[in-house]
Amino acid sequence: MSYFLNLVFAGLAVGALYGLLAMGYAIIFKVSRVVNFAQGEIMMLIAYMAYSVALRTDGSALLVVLAVLVSSVAVGFLIERFVVRPMLGQPVFSLVMMTIALAILIRSVAALIWGNYPYRFPGAETVQPFVIAGVYIQPLQMVLLAVYGAICVAVWAFLRFNIVGIAMRATASDATVSMLMGVSVTRLYRTAWVVSALIAGIAGILFANINHIGPDMAHIGIRAFPATILGGLDSVIGSAVAGLIIGVVESLTGGYVAATYKEIAGFVVILFVLMIRPYGLFGQRNIERV
Amino acid sequence: MRTRTYKETYSQLSSLFPYADTWAWYGVLMAIVLALPWLVPTYIFAYVTLVLIAVIGAVGLNIVTGTAGLISLGQAGFLAIGAYTTGILTTSYGWGLASAMLASGVASAAASLLVGIPSLRLKGLYLAITTLAFSIIVVHLINDADSLTGGSSGLPVRRPDLFGVVPMRSQMAMYFLSLAVAVLVILATLNLLRCRVGRAWAALHDYDIAATLMGINLVRYKLLAFAVSAFIVGLAGSLMALNIRYLNTDSFGLILSIEAIAMIIVGGLGSVRGAVLGAILITLLPDLSRWVLGQFGSFTGSLASGSAAEIKGIIYALVIMFFLRMEPEGLNHQWKRIKRFWSEWPYSH
Repeated sequence: MSYFLNLVFAGLAVGALYGLLAMGYAIIFKVSRVVNFAQGEIMMLIAYMAYSVALRTDGSALLVVLAVLVSSVAVGFLIERFVVRPMLGQPVFSLVMMTIALAILIRSVAALIWGNYPYRFPGAETVQPFVIAGVYIQPLQMVLLAVYGAICVAVWAFLRFNIVGIAMRATASDATVSMLMGVSVTRLYRTAWVVSALIAGIAGILFANINHIGPDMAHIGIRAFPATILGGLDSVIGSAVAGLIIGVVESLTGGYVAATYKEIAGFVVILFVLMIRPYGLFGQRNIERV
Repeated sequence: MRTRTYKETYSQLSSLFPYADTWAWYGVLMAIVLALPWLVPTYIFAYVTLVLIAVIGAVGLNIVTGTAGLISLGQAGFLAIGAYTTGILTTSYGWGLASAMLASGVASAAASLLVGIPSLRLKGLYLAITTLAFSIIVVHLINDADSLTGGSSGLPVRRPDLFGVVPMRSQMAMYFLSLAVAVLVILATLNLLRCRVGRAWAALHDYDIAATLMGINLVRYKLLAFAVSAFIVGLAGSLMALNIRYLNTDSFGLILSIEAIAMIIVGGLGSVRGAVLGAILITLLPDLSRWVLGQFGSFTGSLASGSAAEIKGIIYALVIMFFLRMEPEGLNHQWKRIKRFWSEWPYSH
C-alpha cells in the first residue's frame, strides 16, 4: 500500500509541473488558437536566467524570485512582439511552425551559452525527506504542490472576475465580436504570452530546485502535451487538473508495468483520448467530424 | 519565347510538362547526375546520396502535409519503421534488397493507418500532436524491443546484393540505387498528383465539406494520403538504413520530423519541385553554414566546428523563421519567378 501511495505522490509532484506547463499551453491556445511548442524551452530559458543570477549573486531566494519574474515577463513580451506579432493574419500552421522554430532556437542558444550538462541549482540544499503514512515527501515537493494550487486559484479567479480575464474568455468564444466590443485583441495576445511565460518560469525554477537544471528540461514541455490534450486545449483549469492525472498515470505505469514505459504512458493516453473524446475532458466540443 | 496559350489537343493540356524542350532540359540534368560518380570524388557523391534520400522523404511528407493539408509531425516515426524493417529483414532474416525495401514501405504504410484513423476526426493541431505522439511511441518501442532491434546499442545493417546479382558494396551502387528510387518516386508522385487521387487531396485540403459534396470519400482519401506518404517515407527510411549500415534510435528524434517539415516549408508546401529544392537546401545547410562561418575568420570557424549541433539548430530555426515570414510560398515561388524572367527576357517585366 505504501508503495502505491509513494507512486501516487511522486506522480502528483511531477503532475503539478505538467499541470503548470499545460496551463501555459491552454492560455495561449484559448486566446489565439495557437499551440506554443516552445513552452518547455521557455521554462528552461527562464530557469537558466535565474541560475545565472543566482550564480553571480549570493543566491538569496528573494533575488532568484525577482529574477524569475523579470525574465519571464521580458521573455514573454519579446517573443510575442518579435515572433508572434509579425505572423498575425497568417495561417495557424505557420504560427505553430514559428513556435517550433523558436523552440529549436532557444534550445540551441541555451546549449551554446550554458553547455549541455546538468547543474545543481546554487543554494538548493538536500533536505532529509519527511515521512507521512509511509510516503516520502521532500519539503520542496510540498512547496511545488502549494504553488500549483495557488496558481490554479489565481488563474481561475483572473479568468472569472478580472476584466482582462473576461475579455480573454470573450475572445476565446468569438474574436471578431469581442473586437467589435472594443477589446484590443492584440493586447490580449501579449497578456496571454506573458502570463504563460510567467507560469512556465515559476514551474522552471521549482523543477530546477527539486531536480537539477539542464537541457533535458525542454523535454518536459513535450511531456506536458498529453495533459493539455486530456484536459482540453482550450480549458485552462482542465489542463491543470489533467496534468495531475497524467503525472499519476506515468508514475503508476513506471511502478507497475515497466520503468521504460513511463515516458510514453502519457502519449498512449492521448492517442486514445484523441480517438474517443478529441476535445478532452473539459474542452469545448467544436471539433468537426467526418 | 515560351507561351502557354496555344493548346490544340487534350493531351497537350494534360501532359506532364507543357513544353517539349522541358524534357530536353531534364535529360541534360539526368545525364549530369548519372555521370556524377565519374566526375567528382567519392565524398561528394556520398553527400549527394544523402540529399537524394532526403528528397524522397520530403516528397513523401509533402503528399500528406503539403497536398492533403494533414499536418504530420511523425516523419521520424515512419522513417524509423522503414529503416528498422529493412535492418531486421536483411540482417536477421537474410531477405533480398528489393523485397526488404518494399516490405519497409508496406510496414510504414500499415503503421500510418494507425495514425490515419484518429485523423479522420481531427484537424490541424490536434492531428499534429497525434502524429507527434505516434512518433515518440514508435521510437520508444523500437528502443525497448532490444532482442529484435538491438535497442540502445544499435543495429548493424547488412547491405545485400540487388536481386542477388548486382553487388551493392560500393558507395557508387548505393548512389545509383538512391537515384533510381528518387526518380521513380518523383515521377510517380507527379503523376499521382495530377490524376483523380491528387486532385481529390487538393480538394479536401482546400475545403473538405465541399469536397465531400463533390463525391470525394473523405475517409478513403485521407487514409490513402497517409498510406502513400508513409510508403514513400518508409522507402526513404530503408535507404537510410542501407546507406548508414548502422541504426540507432537516437537518430530518429523529434528534430528529424522538424527537419522534414522545414524542407517542405522552405521549398513551398504542396509542390513536388518545392519539396526537392527544400530537401536539397536543408540537407546542405549545416555544411554550407560551416563553410560560410569559416570564411569569416578563425573564431567563428572554430565556434562552428566546436559546437556544430547548436549552430545547426540555430541555423535551422532562423531559416524556418525567415521563410515563414518573408517567403511563405517557398523556393518554388522564387524558381517560378526566375524562370519567367529569363524565358521572357528581354521583354520580362
